[in-house]
Amino acid sequence: MERKMPNYNIFHAKVDDILAENEFINADFESATAEEKESMVEMHKSVSYWKDAIRRFKNNSVSMAALAVVILLTLFAFVGPYLIPYSYEEQYRGSMKLGPFEYSESELLAKEALADADVLFYTELMPGSLTSLKKGDYAFSYKGSWYLFTLKKTLRSGFLMYNESKADPLYTVKEDDYLAGGDYETTAVTYTVSKDKPTSEDITIIKMSSSIFPHVFGTDSAGRDIMSRTMYGARVSLLIGVVASLIVLVIGSIYGAISGFLGGKVDFIMMRIVELIYSVPDVLIVLLLQVVLMIPLQNWFDTSTLPIVRALSSLGVGIVSIFITFALLYWVGMARIIRGQVLMLKKQEYVTAAIVLGASNTRIIRKHLLPNSIGQLVVTTCLQIPSAIFLESFLSFLGLGISAPMSSLGSMCSDAIDTITVYPYRLLFPAIILSLLVLSLNLVGDGMRDALDPRLKK
Amino acid sequence: MSEKLLEIKDLKVSFFTPVGEVKAVNGINYTLGHNEVMGIVGESGSGKSVEAYAIMGLLQSPGRIIGGSVMFEGEDITKYDAKQMTDVRGNKISMIFQNPMTCLNPVYTIGDQLVEALTCHNSAISKADAKKRSIEMLDLVGINNAEKRFNQYPHEFSGGMRQRAMIAMALICNPKLLIADEPTTALDVTIQAQIIELMKDLQKKTDMAIVFITHNLGVVAEICDKVTVMYAGHVLEQGAVDDIFYNPQHPYTRGLLQSMPRLDSESHERMIPIEGTPVELLDPPRGCSFGPRCAHCMKICLRNAPPLVEVGENGHVSACWLHVRQAVEQKEAK
Amino acid sequence: MTSYILKRIGSALVTLLIVAATTFFLMNAVPGSPFVTEKSTPEMIARAEAKYGLDKPLVVQFVNYIKGYFVGDMGVSLKMQQDTSVAEIIFNQNKLTLSARIGAYALVLAVVLGIPLGCIAAYNRGNWLDGLLRVITTVGVAIPGFVVATTLLVLFGVQLNWLPVRSGSLETASAYILPVFALSFYPSCYIAKLTRASMLDAINQDYIRTARAKGLKTGKVIFKHALRNSLIPVITYLGPLAAYIITGGFVVETTFSIPGLGKYFISSILNRDYPIIMGTTVVLASLIIIMNLLVDIAYKLVDPRISLSKGDV
Repeated sequence: MERKMPNYNIFHAKVDDILAENEFINADFESATAEEKESMVEMHKSVSYWKDAIRRFKNNSVSMAALAVVILLTLFAFVGPYLIPYSYEEQYRGSMKLGPFEYSESELLAKEALADADVLFYTELMPGSLTSLKKGDYAFSYKGSWYLFTLKKTLRSGFLMYNESKADPLYTVKEDDYLAGGDYETTAVTYTVSKDKPTSEDITIIKMSSSIFPHVFGTDSAGRDIMSRTMYGARVSLLIGVVASLIVLVIGSIYGAISGFLGGKVDFIMMRIVELIYSVPDVLIVLLLQVVLMIPLQNWFDTSTLPIVRALSSLGVGIVSIFITFALLYWVGMARIIRGQVLMLKKQEYVTAAIVLGASNTRIIRKHLLPNSIGQLVVTTCLQIPSAIFLESFLSFLGLGISAPMSSLGSMCSDAIDTITVYPYRLLFPAIILSLLVLSLNLVGDGMRDALDPRLKK
Repeated sequence: MSEKLLEIKDLKVSFFTPVGEVKAVNGINYTLGHNEVMGIVGESGSGKSVEAYAIMGLLQSPGRIIGGSVMFEGEDITKYDAKQMTDVRGNKISMIFQNPMTCLNPVYTIGDQLVEALTCHNSAISKADAKKRSIEMLDLVGINNAEKRFNQYPHEFSGGMRQRAMIAMALICNPKLLIADEPTTALDVTIQAQIIELMKDLQKKTDMAIVFITHNLGVVAEICDKVTVMYAGHVLEQGAVDDIFYNPQHPYTRGLLQSMPRLDSESHERMIPIEGTPVELLDPPRGCSFGPRCAHCMKICLRNAPPLVEVGENGHVSACWLHVRQAVEQKEAK
Repeated sequence: MTSYILKRIGSALVTLLIVAATTFFLMNAVPGSPFVTEKSTPEMIARAEAKYGLDKPLVVQFVNYIKGYFVGDMGVSLKMQQDTSVAEIIFNQNKLTLSARIGAYALVLAVVLGIPLGCIAAYNRGNWLDGLLRVITTVGVAIPGFVVATTLLVLFGVQLNWLPVRSGSLETASAYILPVFALSFYPSCYIAKLTRASMLDAINQDYIRTARAKGLKTGKVIFKHALRNSLIPVITYLGPLAAYIITGGFVVETTFSIPGLGKYFISSILNRDYPIIMGTTVVLASLIIIMNLLVDIAYKLVDPRISLSKGDV
């Protein structure tokens, strides 16, 4: 029921004046019910801790942008390799020392040749040191069907082309003949089409290209595609970062929890040990550890038969020793944080016990305290990842981290230094990806820290 | 008593936060004459400290004065520029704060900080004179061994002594008005009593007016001449101290007087959600801000804000629809 | 105060001993001795080991080694400069001097650049200058040191050809510029961020509100009251800063071809020249530990809250 606004000066009036100017009915002065009062208060939803934190994070545009970058880089590292036709280790003799987006002569020729064909295969662009297609049985897939054919003669320095519109769609051309131009000589190849992929081991499957994918970051002296290697390096760096952080998380939490929980002398000793580890200049010891662990680890990998050791050995000595270094030195920060949280929790429980309010309150405390602890944990672990990546790249740069054939972004930078004056881009791309990765992970971690901090910031 | 030293007219202060506009002070009025003590009473979030900061020009973004005026000695100081305000602060109007433990700079001596308070308004004074005056002030506020204490650091003072030092610092330029924002809340009860005595004493000696902000009605009874009761940025009741204590008209004031501590803790639970944002000030309910918690709440209370009406002499006013209802009933009875 | 200093010196020595012991035992945990070459026979190896005292039990070797330190004897190089005293190599061959020079300049530059930039950012909080500085410093602390060093090298040494690519033995002034700047880049950004954050923190403190309430002008409030308090965390950072300068020095020396102690240390690790590794580790670790000690003392001097109280806080 709408009523017009009463007429009065809200400040400092005489009651009589108010009465004179307004009509009040009895209904006005009826007591308000509890529900009516509730509805006034209900307008304000009390936001849960997590929802509020997420909202704060979303509002932080820098962190959101950084998060987007992290996701993009992760996609780059893990999905990217499926999108480009080059692998990180295959060497393409025909495409060595190319700059970004530069095409080698062979590639340019192949691009031209594609004008005359739907798909083709060019021996000069084969990976490895091969440059000829030996005689034998082959198959390729095109538009959902499989084409099987036999090469009677080894094709050296030539094209295998397929053009649907031609009378003999599948044929080979020698490179020289093609270059000569005009009516170049072609040798037809008979083939059969089938819907199923051939399963025989005698049939080699080749890939025909409909376009020549550019080497976006260029290639190195051995003809390896740098972008693909960068993706690989990014994968390695990310994995190292995440695993190292998890190691730190697990060891640190267990140590800190035990120390805080047991308290007393045990806590005292454990914390003194933590202080000792803190006071030792870490990088020096890390360097030493890296060197020291190489040989024993290699021996262990070579001689042990345990499956887990087999798995570890595939990672390589460099990575495993980095993990061991982290496990020995870098968990101390996390241990301190966890211990602090455990101590707080203990204090709360004693207080509650003293007041004797029943089990429900303990649960309430856990609801308040745990979110805070988990928040700290998540932020610290998240910020540990970029510093692990940092450390690994530092070690790899000095030659003490990853060993060939694996490469991380750091070792790529190290390899690129020698030719930096001639091919600066070989350093540029891994360095940019590395810096972006570390930067955005740091920003995301900072953003999470700000979001979970309940104090209102100015 | 005397012509008005300080007149707050319809002052409104809001904080423009990312979550929305928090209306901390929603139009308050009061006047203060020379040598009077006004007590501002309310819970946390009532806006009492905010209005003090507004008077001093100490509001920091995102807070702003969005309406009303503060007339000091006849001039509207909300319109002053930065330079004029620094002239006023510490010199004509001084302020002391709640937590003496953190209010003094730990890396400078007490003497340093006192002298600084003096010389920033009085550049002509010599170092020796400034030191002398500072030691006099320390003595005046009851700090023994003032000469020795002059050279000590804040962490060497106890809480009560620090508050005394703060008072010395505030009074060293002989201000006309002292604003005291919960000066005794953080202190022990016995020290509280001493500080209150000191302030009463100083006030008599220096002819200074005081705005005393607190949530403790006991302290108000000790030192104040007039009282303003605030809630959610509004004035609910105002009047001379005796009237408020012996003849409280507003249900909130009555509630405060009957059961002080419990009302405090109750309000914390309801008003402040987990993250500490005073949410109801973001979107204040229509009608009386105290309504939802009032035992006498009527339908009109939830619809319209009550007028501030006279309920006695000496400027005793109260904002409650009960008074209007009472008047209506009286009229009908005739 | 003195008791505090003595306690700190004591714990510094303990740490040093632990570092030395850890290094020693780590070195000897590696199988294979430095004398193994393609041509060596077991007898040759045994003889060489006996000559250098490597056949005695480990603990004895360690004790002898530590004893040697007190008379300045750090052993002799086993491989890289055979039979030359390690002390001679580290101190008299210009290696330490080179590294120390670059390190010292970088440290000073970091402080001289970082603190004022941090203050400017804090003072201009919210406007474009602050934003710009924040972006630069945030990016600056995320870029790995070797990337900075090599990028500077490429940019100024190669492309623009303004500065030398190999700084060698720092004969000319221009040889200093790139390595010092590269080394100080990360710490200046970090110090700027730290200063900004602690200034803003200080500005929010209650005593700043008191200072404003007294009627002090804004400039004075910031530079007299806020700054001194906000320098405390920065001073605390100087300890880890020293550690960074040393380890960052490895990278800078490698990149700019400076024959300093860092580069030599890395080589000694790869060559397994134990005495050099030991000696260098101890020297470098001592530098870091001494720096931390000085910082702790300075910290207590600057913050009067702690200096006069007995014992540790």
